[in-house]
Amino acid sequence: MMTAQMLFIAFFGLAAVWFGIVVFRTFSMVRSALALLFSQTALGAMFLSMQVEFLGVLQIMMMATEMSIMAIFMVMFMMDPGGLGEMDMTHQKRLSLGAGLVAFIAAVAVAVFVDWGPVTGTPPDAAQQTVDLGLELLGRSMLIFETAGITILTAMIAATAVAIQPVKRNGKP
Amino acid sequence: MSIELLIALITGAALFGTGIYGALSQTNLVMIMMGVELILAGAMINLVAFWRYLHPDNPAGQMFVLIIMTVMAIEMAVGFGVAIARFRARGSVEMEEATELKG
Repeated sequence: MMTAQMLFIAFFGLAAVWFGIVVFRTFSMVRSALALLFSQTALGAMFLSMQVEFLGVLQIMMMATEMSIMAIFMVMFMMDPGGLGEMDMTHQKRLSLGAGLVAFIAAVAVAVFVDWGPVTGTPPDAAQQTVDLGLELLGRSMLIFETAGITILTAMIAATAVAIQPVKRNGKP
Repeated sequence: MSIELLIALITGAALFGTGIYGALSQTNLVMIMMGVELILAGAMINLVAFWRYLHPDNPAGQMFVLIIMTVMAIEMAVGFGVAIARFRARGSVEMEEATELKG
């Protein structure tokens, strides 16, 4: 049972990383957005394999919507959304690759060499997790939860205000 | 240490590194945002793994994951707002052309 769970976690982890790399390897912007969607969905499936049901489902639902919107914006903004021209849209490649590798190695070193303490076997079941999280959100962490909600609302209003077309006094743009 | 926790942490590290590469190497604003999304995803998998394998009895751990998801949504909303404004003003979201604020 534990081995099957480990295999699933490793498989979905590999899928998430592979699709994350594909995001920056394809010339097509639509494919990039779809690869990011698959990467985030694989992450959601990894959460489900780890028996973190509520967050897994939330991750898949939220990212499916978010990445679909991203794909639409890609098509709107790009000169060549299909990537037929194979236009290179990168700069300072060597520096970026070095920074990415250093970040990866440092994070792996921390993961391997730090003593994380005793590992607990089983989490609460799915229903209990949701109950616990609900009580946490509406109890001790209510202020944080409400602040997050207000911040999203503020960001939405700010984004709309920034994006809206300025109109002059005589009504013409 | 549990192997599952190690796999999750290494996955997080790989997503973080890929995100750093993407955010630094891409010239398009939307692609840079994709890199930032991957960095946040790397942080999220770490938080989920820590909650699941080290403190499953404390639901506050899941709260942090919800905060990361909120940050992802805010980043998308503000990023696209800026992208629309930029596209309207200059007709492109290429960041190499955005040199107006250079000293």
